[in-house]
Amino acid sequence: MDRRRLHSADDGRAAAPAPPVAPWAVPWQRITVGTPGPEFEARPPGQYAFDFPDTECDGWSTSSLCLRFASVRGAKHRYYRQPRQDAARAAVHEESGSIVFAVADGVSSASSSELGAVEACRSSVERMLYLLSSGEGELDFRDVVLHAAERLRQLAMWRLGGREPEAGEVAGLYATTLVAGVVRPDPAGPTAELCRIADSVAWVLDRSNGRYQPLFSSKTGSDTLLVSNEVTPLPHVPEVLEHASVRLESGHALLVGTDGFADPLGDGDGQVGALFAHHLAAPTSPAWLAHLLDFSRETFDDDRTLLVIWRQMGAAAE
Amino acid sequence: MAETKGVLLPAYVLADESGSMGPYKEELSNGLISLCEGLRAEPMVAAKLRLAVLGFSDDVEVRLAVADMRHETSLPQVEIRGLTNYKAVFDDLLDRIPSDIQWLRGEGYKVHRPVVFFLSDGQPTDRGAWRKPHGRLTDRAQTPTAPNIVACGIGDAQARTMVEVATRPEFAFVAKPGTDIGRAVAEFFHALTASLVASGQALNSGSPQLVVNRPEQFSMAIDEVG
Repeated sequence: MDRRRLHSADDGRAAAPAPPVAPWAVPWQRITVGTPGPEFEARPPGQYAFDFPDTECDGWSTSSLCLRFASVRGAKHRYYRQPRQDAARAAVHEESGSIVFAVADGVSSASSSELGAVEACRSSVERMLYLLSSGEGELDFRDVVLHAAERLRQLAMWRLGGREPEAGEVAGLYATTLVAGVVRPDPAGPTAELCRIADSVAWVLDRSNGRYQPLFSSKTGSDTLLVSNEVTPLPHVPEVLEHASVRLESGHALLVGTDGFADPLGDGDGQVGALFAHHLAAPTSPAWLAHLLDFSRETFDDDRTLLVIWRQMGAAAE
Repeated sequence: MAETKGVLLPAYVLADESGSMGPYKEELSNGLISLCEGLRAEPMVAAKLRLAVLGFSDDVEVRLAVADMRHETSLPQVEIRGLTNYKAVFDDLLDRIPSDIQWLRGEGYKVHRPVVFFLSDGQPTDRGAWRKPHGRLTDRAQTPTAPNIVACGIGDAQARTMVEVATRPEFAFVAKPGTDIGRAVAEFFHALTASLVASGQALNSGSPQLVVNRPEQFSMAIDEVG
């Protein structure tokens, strides 16, 4: 490094005028949809929540699939000094070229739900990678969610100093929703298989017409009179697991999101749906997805997480 | 279809205006003012609530129609009058709640199950006539928009009656024996404001839930009955 340049102002020489701001350096303005929510500087979460940053994003592509995800802290948590309680994780299964992923929404009444959400994602991704390497055929999603539930139990046991926790204690610490799944490359078009616990949601976005096809039922569908608040999150594993599978046709993208995104999206036929259909027509940068997801809209102040997988245009099967 | 504008919690405060509340009118008015001010101080929470205040005695009078407290400038005014007709309350809510929810949905909102905060200082003067409309109101098969009811009794209101009015035993409270009624009214509104703020914070989350805080100087009515 040329140290003289750092000290030029102290050399008695006139400081060089600041270079003009390049137009591309203009800061991104927060996107508003309809009536915006209140604007304020985010407050810090509690001092021990440093491992759960306000915003996370990731993105990469294989030869046949493209992945992006972003997770942003909601206005409510930014204001009331709580960490982001959503999480997402994704990995490529190198042998098959499949992408495994998990999206979780920690239950706010659980005292460490931010950790519960991350651990549910981590453990389910690990388990799916293991199962993919172990055999052919459909993934055993019950095995995946039981593995995630067991991880939460182990965490609770550690937290309780080695004492065996009761189910209620595990839930009180780490309860979380979960959507876990895999997208496998296929000559006929990639196939997605997913399961879910509680109310996180997944859709296929048809980029040709901007329509969102839900893969699971929604708590806020247009035909529901009242919004249901009866979700049973992990560590509870229901007898019958909700499961969906779909082939991604040309022009389709798979979207998996928490209710912080699903609620303002609704049926997808409004401004939020149009915004995302426009920007997700092609893979965007991970940072832009996070910025997009951080849109401001009155009353929608929950954490938001969205994971998107596109089929690569003209990609050959791996 | 119009886009969802938000998901709201409709909240109804049922304030007993019967003659026996006369000595506590000031506490009742002050409590309502503190409730309104408390919600205005939490605009992010208030945005997700719609508050109605109804005074009841022989009938029900609207003191504040379903309002967005961020923008509401008037304060509810109570009037002391008449007897303690519980039937009038539940007949009124049977009409009012489905109609309000239909209106809110028409405005483009989704709606959580409504909550009713019921404060009374006396036993029902309509004897048992209130039980039939109450049963219909709280039966989710008959009334899909059936509210959760939190019942707080002060003065002559009995624990057993509050347990019957509330939709869950843990939603029923009575002022502890010997508690000053004026103070109990104030505590009811403190707890009500805290419950609405906490419930508002829990809305639009992975587990939206009704948070009910026990007012200071109150005990759970089920404990008194048991």
